[in-house]
Parts: sequence; C-alpha cells; structure tokens
Amino acid sequence: MATTLEQDRPQLAAGRTWASKGLVTIGTATVILFVLSALLDRASVSGTSLSGMLPIAAVLAIAGLGQMLVVQQGGIDLSVPGAISLALVVITHVPDGDSSKLGVAVLIALVLAVAAGALNGLLIGTMGLNPIIATLGANAVLYGVNLQISGGRPRITTRLMGDIGGGSTLGVPNSVFFAIATLGLVTLVVKRTVAGRRFEAIGANQRAARAAGLRVRTHRTATYVWAQLLYCLAGILVAGITSQPTAFAGDTFLLPSIAVVVLGGTSLLGGRGFPLPTVIAAVFLQQLVQLVTVLGFSAAISPLVQAAALAVGVSLYTIDWRSILARRPRPPAAAGAPAAGTG
Amino acid sequence: MTRTAMGGETLDPPAGSVGDEAVLRLEIQGASKHFAGVAALKDVSLSVRAGEVHAVLGENGAGKSTLMNIATGTLQPDEGEIRVGGEVAATLTPARATALGIAIVHQHPAVMPDLTVQENLQVALPAAAFAGGARQAAERMLARVGLEVDLADRVETLTLAERHLLEIAKAFAVDPRVLILDEPTAPLGNDASELLFDLVRSAVAEGTSVVYITHRLAEVRELADTVTVLRDGRLRGNAVVADISDQELLNLIVGRELESTFPAKSGGDGEENLSVEGFSGPGFGDVSLVARRGEIVGVAGVVGNGQSQLLRGLAGLEETSGTVSVGGRRLDHRELLGEAAYMPADRITEGLMRSLSVRENAALSALSSFRSAGFLSRRREVSEVRGSLGSLSVRAPSLEAPVSALSGGNQQKVVISRALLADPPLLLADEPTQGVDVGARSEIYTILRAASERGVPVIIASSDAKELEGLCDRVVVMSRGRVVETLVGEEVTEERIVSAAVTSTAETVSAAAARRATRSSRLRRFVEGDYSPSALLVVLMLALAAYITPGNERYLSAFNISNVLLAATAIGFIALGQNLALLTGGIDLSVGPLAGFLVVVSSFYVLDRSGPAKVLLGFVLMVLVAAVVGLVNGSLVRFARFTPIAATLTLYIALGGFAFLLRSTQGGYISLGFQNAVNLRFGPLPVAFVVFVVLAVVMELALRRRRWGWRLRGVGSDEDAARRVGIDVDRTVIGAYVCSSLLAFLGALMFMGQYGIGDPSQGSAFTLTSVTAVVLGGTSLLGGRGTFIGTLAGAVLLQQLLNATTFLGLGSTSQYYFQGLLILVAAVVYTLARSRRRGRPAAG
Repeated sequence: MATTLEQDRPQLAAGRTWASKGLVTIGTATVILFVLSALLDRASVSGTSLSGMLPIAAVLAIAGLGQMLVVQQGGIDLSVPGAISLALVVITHVPDGDSSKLGVAVLIALVLAVAAGALNGLLIGTMGLNPIIATLGANAVLYGVNLQISGGRPRITTRLMGDIGGGSTLGVPNSVFFAIATLGLVTLVVKRTVAGRRFEAIGANQRAARAAGLRVRTHRTATYVWAQLLYCLAGILVAGITSQPTAFAGDTFLLPSIAVVVLGGTSLLGGRGFPLPTVIAAVFLQQLVQLVTVLGFSAAISPLVQAAALAVGVSLYTIDWRSILARRPRPPAAAGAPAAGTG
Repeated sequence: MTRTAMGGETLDPPAGSVGDEAVLRLEIQGASKHFAGVAALKDVSLSVRAGEVHAVLGENGAGKSTLMNIATGTLQPDEGEIRVGGEVAATLTPARATALGIAIVHQHPAVMPDLTVQENLQVALPAAAFAGGARQAAERMLARVGLEVDLADRVETLTLAERHLLEIAKAFAVDPRVLILDEPTAPLGNDASELLFDLVRSAVAEGTSVVYITHRLAEVRELADTVTVLRDGRLRGNAVVADISDQELLNLIVGRELESTFPAKSGGDGEENLSVEGFSGPGFGDVSLVARRGEIVGVAGVVGNGQSQLLRGLAGLEETSGTVSVGGRRLDHRELLGEAAYMPADRITEGLMRSLSVRENAALSALSSFRSAGFLSRRREVSEVRGSLGSLSVRAPSLEAPVSALSGGNQQKVVISRALLADPPLLLADEPTQGVDVGARSEIYTILRAASERGVPVIIASSDAKELEGLCDRVVVMSRGRVVETLVGEEVTEERIVSAAVTSTAETVSAAAARRATRSSRLRRFVEGDYSPSALLVVLMLALAAYITPGNERYLSAFNISNVLLAATAIGFIALGQNLALLTGGIDLSVGPLAGFLVVVSSFYVLDRSGPAKVLLGFVLMVLVAAVVGLVNGSLVRFARFTPIAATLTLYIALGGFAFLLRSTQGGYISLGFQNAVNLRFGPLPVAFVVFVVLAVVMELALRRRRWGWRLRGVGSDEDAARRVGIDVDRTVIGAYVCSSLLAFLGALMFMGQYGIGDPSQGSAFTLTSVTAVVLGGTSLLGGRGTFIGTLAGAVLLQQLLNATTFLGLGSTSQYYFQGLLILVAAVVYTLARSRRRGRPAAG
C-alpha cells in the first residue's frame, strides 16, 4: 500500500487472540460450580441430572445467543418469551400429533419468526423506536397470535419432534448438538464474515460506523430478524423436550437470556459479542438451578444466587476493582470523564 | 503603550501602564498550568479594570480557554495568584467565583433541550433573581438580550443562536461584576451581534468588567478598550486598542514556533484531479475548489465556521447540493458515503470503536478485500493490516490490543491506516493532528503527503494555520460557512490565512443559526407539548366508552367503574414511580417484584389477629425495604456504573427470590379491615383513586413548578448541561429511584386490598404494565420528557381496555393484541412526532 514503507520498521506482533475476560470468568466459575456440585452432592452431576439440565441449558444458550445479537447493537429484546412460546405452539398445534406435518409447522414457525423480526427491526432499526418499547409491544402481539392458534391450551407434541428435540445421540441430548451448531454458526458469521465484522463495529460505535460509510440501519434492522430465528429454534426445541408444553413456556427464558449475555461479558451498551462465554453462562445458570434443587433448598435460593451472579458479573466489567483494592484514588482527569461503564 | 512594551517575552506587569491599581477588578498574576506535563499556560498575567472591555486574542490552542477556566475556578493553576476586587482568592471554585460576581458565557450553551426557556432560566439562576414574579423577571431577562421566544417554548425548538442568547441572558441576569464572553458572536447574525455589543457597552457603563474572547479583529476594534494577546500559552503582549494597528496585532497572534518538520511540497503542476463546484450543505454554502494531482488542499478558518461540515458533506454524511468530481469521475452522495475516506476530528466518538482491537479498527473499511470463499481470511487480514500499521510506524502492544490503550497519535494512525487500506478515491481529514504528540505529527504529515503523491486528492481541515502553511499547496479560508479566500502556492502562509480568517466580515449562512420565521402559536405548542398524549388518551377513553355503553348497561355501573379505577390505581402508583425513573433517562425494572415482595412482607404483619403495633411495624418494614431497594438501585446506577437495566434487573431477580424465600406458596390473609379501607368507595369513585389523582396532580405541579422537577428533567435531558448549571446529578438520580420504590410501596398497599393474600408469584408482571402505562402517557424513554398526568391517563386507559375485552366478549387473545398494538402505535406516533419536531430523522 504505502510507498513510504521502510524495511527496517518494526513489525507489530500479531498477538494471539486472548481468551476474553468473560470466557475466563464464566469458564472458571462454571468449573468451580461443577466441582462444588460433585463435592456437595454427587447426584447433582449424575447422568440423570445432567440429561435433565443440559436440554434446558441448550435452549437457554440458543435464546441467549439471539439476545446477544440484539444487545450487541445496544438494544434489548423483551419479545423472547412471545417468540419462544409462539414457535412451540405452532410446532405442537399445527401437526396436532401428525409427524408428517412437522415440516410444514417448522416452515410456518420460521415465517412467523421472520415477520416478527422484521416488525422489531423496522420499528427499532429503521424508525428509531426505543428497543424496550418496541419489543414489549411485539411480545404482546406475538402472544396474541399465539393464543389465536392455541387458545391457551397445551397440546401434546408429535412423536417425531419428541425424538428430534428430546432424544439423545450417543448419550448426549440432541438439543446440545443444536446448541453447538448454533454457537458455531453465530461465531462463524459474526467473527469471520464481512457482514459480521461490520455488524460488530456498528454495535461498538454507531456514529463511527456511519462516518466510515457503513449501512447502519440495514444492519440494525437485520439484527432483530436473526435474533427471532434463534428464538424460533429455541421454541422448536422446547416443543421437543417437553411433551406437552404450555402456551406460556417461553416466559421463563426472558430474564435468564439477558443474564447469560451479561455474564458472558457482552456489554449492554453494545459492541463486541462473546458467543462461547454466553453459551457457557447458560450451562452455569442451569447447573446452579440444578444444584439448588438437588440439595433440596428452597426454590427461592436460585434466583438469589442468579441475582448475585449477575451483580458480580456486571461489576467485574464496570468497576475498576484493581484501583479500589490498591486504595488509590482515581486521577482527577479521569474522574470527570464520561462513564465508560460496561453493564 | 508602545510597541517595545509588547515585545515577545516581555512580562513586565502591564497594569502600571494601563491604569490605577485600585480599580483592578480581576487580576491574574503569573499563572501557569500543565496538562500531563505539557504547558498549556506559562506565566501569564491578566489585569481587568473596572468598567472596561478587555479583549483576549489568540489562535486555537493559545491558552485562552485555560486562562478563563482558571478565572472561573473550573481549573486550579499550578502557579500564580488570582485577585478579585483587590483581594486574593486563595482557591477559587466555580461556586466561589459566582459568589464573587464572575459569570461566564461558554461557547457551548449549558441549556437543557427538554426544558422550557423559563425552566432553563429558573433552574440555573438563584431564586432571588425571580423575586416579584418569575414570569415577569424571565421576560425582562429575555428582553434585555433581545431574545424573541416564548417563555413556554422548549429549548430544543430554539436555534443555535437563540440558545446562545439564552445563555447570555443567564449571565446578564445576575448582574455580574466580571463577565467573561467566550466567542459569543460565532453563531449570531449581524443584528444579534450588534445587540450584544450594545448590551456589553451598557453593562460596562454600569461598571461591569467584560473579558471578551474572540478571533475577530473587527470586534476588538468595535468593542474593546484593551487587548491581551496569547500565543502558545504565553503572554505575547497587551495594549490599549486605540494605540495599536491591525498589522501589529496580527504580528502578535501569528509567528508560532515551528514544532514539526513538514515534507516537501509538490509544486502542483500535475493535471487537475479534484473539482468541487457550488457545493452547499448544512453550515456551509456555495463552496468551490479545485486541486491538481499531488496537491494537498487545506481548509482553514476559525473553528466552527463550516470547515468540519464541509468535510462531512464531502464524505457523504450530510445532505448536499453541487458537484464533486475526482479524476474526472463525478461522485454522487451515495458514492461519496461509500468510498471517500473520512477521518473525523473527534476520534473518540466518531473515529474509533474503542472497545475493539487495533486490527479490527484498522481493517474495518477494507474487509471485503480480505475475503476468500465467502469468509474472511485471517492470514491475509493480519498481514495487510500489519503491513499498513508497520508502514505508519504505529506503536501498539500487539494487533489485538484494544485501540483505546494507544496514545492519541497512534490512535490517529490507526484511523489513517483504515482509510488507506480501503484505497479511497478521496481522503478527508478533519484536524488530523489534534491531540497528537510532536513526533507523530511529522509522521502523519509524511503519510498524508505520500497518499497525495499517489494521486489521491487529500483535503485537510485544520484550525492550526501554521500546520496548513507547512503542509498544504492550496488553502481555502472559510468564514461563517463561505469561502472568503483561496490561497495557492507561495501565498499559503500563516499570516495570510489568519488575516483572511480574522478580518472577514462575512455574515453567517448556516441554516442552524437562521432565525425562525414566526413565534410558535398556542395550538402548535400544545400539539407539540407534553400534554397532547394525555389529551389523545382521554379522547380514546371516551370513544371506547361510547362504543361499548350501548347494549351494555352494566358497563357504566358503579361496580364496574370502581373496579376499573381500583385496578388502575394499583398499577398507576407503580407507573408514577416508573415515570420518575424514565424522566432521569433510566428505567426501573424492579418495581413489579418489589410491590409483590412488599405484599408478601405485609402478609406476616397486617393480619386480622395482629395488634396495631404489629401492623404498624409491618408498614414501617415495608417502607424501609422500599427505601433500601431504591437506594441500592440508584447507587448501582450512579456509583457502580451499572446501566439502569442491569442494576434494576438484578434487583428484579433478587426480589422475586426473596418473596419465595418468605413464602413458598400463597398464605397469610391480609386483614379484612385493611382490605375494606383500601377498597373504600363512594358510588363509582374509590377513595384510593382520588388519592392517586391528587398525588399525580401534585407531582405534576412539582415537576413543572419546583426546582425538584426541573432538576429531574434536566438530568434526563442533558446530564452534562445539568452538571454545568450546578445540579447535583447523583443526588437527583438516586432520589428518583428511592421515590420510585416508595411509590411501588403505595402500589403494594393496593394489591394487598385486591389479592388479600401473600402470593410470592405475583408482582413481576407489573413492571412491564407500568412501563406500558408510562409510555402511553407520552414519557420519552430517552429521559427529560414526560408527565404524571399522562401516566395517570395511561394507567386508566390500560385497565379500561382490559375491562372492555370482557364486555365485548373478545377473550384474552384480543387483550394481548390490544395491549401490544396500543403501545406500538403510541410509540410510533410519539417517536415520529418528536423526530419531525427536532428536524432530523429518527434513527442516526
């Protein structure tokens, strides 16, 4: 490129891509959790326990990856419950036990997901609505469609869907493979394609991305479509894992889907996403619930532990613990600087 | 004063020659200030006599602002002494400076866009300034500066010039003894400038001393008695204006020592490869320029005269008219946006993705060229980026280091590297060496020159005339949006550039500064105002009632109405609290679970068999819990720097857990006496609803008429401006979260009456319902804008709608549709209305 290149200039170290802070933190925490689980009660890491925990963790991981995409653009998606519930209702109600109609059901679910994503995307990415309001409204609309199809009644899932979503291969729940495939796909697209890299840059600094000539609106709009497709997959899996899922089964995934994104190290202000840590965080949260249940604690403990994990997780990124621990007052120049907080 | 006294480094106390010591109003002696080891001011003295206009002249970066920040207590000097009215002010703080009668008009007005003109005045000025009628006092303040706007106009509808006049009005309102004006005429038209001059003269006649910072010699001539010139943070001299010629002043301003070396210029005999004709856009008009191959074009002028806007226009970032041709090929707006490489002056907000790595930042614009088989080739990307960064001598720990860890110069080189890697047809750099150390400057000059030699037209905007002299073959000088001089070859000298910029008398063409044609009408103000959503909701309520009532005589029965109102009251209290959080620009997700948790707490104390002491203890505990939750929310947001969503989500989850900890299943029947008291009604009207309405009205009045309300909305509207007018932001925000929690407590009292039992699973749904009610009421999630009346209307409409579905026999499906569509339609309508009012598209 530059003709002024001088041969003796030092080359920059390529530098290895360091394991992110999120990966180290959540990875370590998860290992400790499993060790602790084994020490406290072997039953919490038994095969039965894991095969009960992993499918739900897989669903949470997939929904969390969708939420991550939205959070990367500085948004937040409150339509996760509506989206998951709608998908599972379509998968159970449309075939009504007839496995041969499963394909059609999946297709309908996908079309609805794209439509919901387009609605969110247009409102937020194109028209500039606040993500909280838009996805809150979209969530209600999705439930409207849901109840129109289901009437609020659960229906037994088809055998084929049960085999695919709830079955196991080589002793591993199938949903885990779906989660791993989704993780691979998201990682590949976000980190290894031109569009994905632009997507991350837009999330990191919209104004700078615009100044660099990127199509900010298009990317922001598409974000919500991709997210809905992932929620849709999560909903389909729920329909397979649970034999008779309720029309509101998606509700339990909203808060955890945000929590795993934050625990994974993705900033709620947008920017770089961390797919692998997000997935690990899903396993962490679900194992936490499992451990608490196996130990026979009140069900109340697990939200408390989740809240604590969230608070610690966020403060790891927002508070400069090192300088506080060193009891060194911040330099005055930095004190007036705008908050560069993460969570 | 003679010329010999003004010579270069002469630092004799100037006061002796210009006046009597006794009447010195403001005196700064031997002030020095260093930033990170670099001297911004070195041994500068300034003496301002009573009743004079003292101009301070100097180029950008000469130290004028630093000196004024010292004079107003914003900065503490490393050395030197400040005397105000003859007395030594040991440590000057902004508050102390104000008390001593020093007022400053900043270049960027500290006004809050969502507050009205009246509110902006009242929140910033002491109550004493409004004695004997706030309205009349405010009218007088505006009349004094000739600002013709309505006191009820929101500041966001004001033009830049009008906002500036408002800022000036605030300064004059306190009758300061020393008034500092920092380039006050930059955004003003001729009429307003003349009026300002008259104001300054009359203030001076009454004994006020004015320090007048400017770039324009004409203004110095017109207004000032004495003048002090700074250069490179040093005093260059001072003089009585009448005794010094323009040429002599110019000589004092220019002549900075050369810090960096520049690459050789091209000579400019190549073919013409850039032509811009009749190029106009926001902030600049009718710009034409040409360049030959190998030439670097400079855009000069005093900061804020359209140079940055011109570059943005050329980068395709603004709507423009006119033509741009590069190498004979005409580029339209879209092509410019996609292809031209633009390096913004503000690296932090517009140049870099600070959280991303050096590699990711540099590669951004050239990503497509690293593609192989659909995916990015990491190897190719790393080698290209490394090559580019290496050729620019970027010093960084590694390619994967976060770009925010680099020095200013190296950050700028990363931006340049991004531009060069994309192989652009046109290179635009706005202040490319701002905040860059001396060594890196020379390297950046060399890089830009090399790009130019390869045939890429390079345009550089800089406020540093010396830099343009050294670097450019051709310079256009802009003043107030127009090109006032084009200098080519040998003509490109610092003196010619500065001279053209400071002697220009061009009038502002900027659209932003144009005066609005008419004052806004009363009706228009209502439609654009905060209460139009409430009016809309009331119309909707009446329409809905009118639609349902025929054929449903039970609909208007006392029983049905009071049920709707009771339900609306419960959600309404919570929504009032939510509204507080939203007004500060935050959100409180924890209100729902908090209300639910408080009901569970009450189910242990407020029972039929409990004595009064136990019941009282229960209520005290509930209030305490609510207050603590609010404090935790606020502290997490302000001190631990959580986003409001993260902070209140944490409490949301935790409170749900606590509720289950206290009760794993339903239990604890709330005292019937208490339930009856809460549900007490007269005919269709529940007493609780009356309380709710009164509370909403009182809060609304406080929001509009009391300092508390202005502070709350001010913080949400513009936190930085709020801080500059002296609002304690932390206290305001934390207070809002505490009040929000206390209102959730009131909501909990209502739920106690409605459910009558401690149920750990109740509560969380109220959060989203409260947000819905508040948004329906027209409160903006961006903060600073909203009403409690709207919240009241939103809560009632929401419950009316849910109630209506049963009367219409629509079932629960339609409840969801209604709720969803209602909030979406409301959000779309409000968002569009607001974005049109602000005159810019909704999304950035």
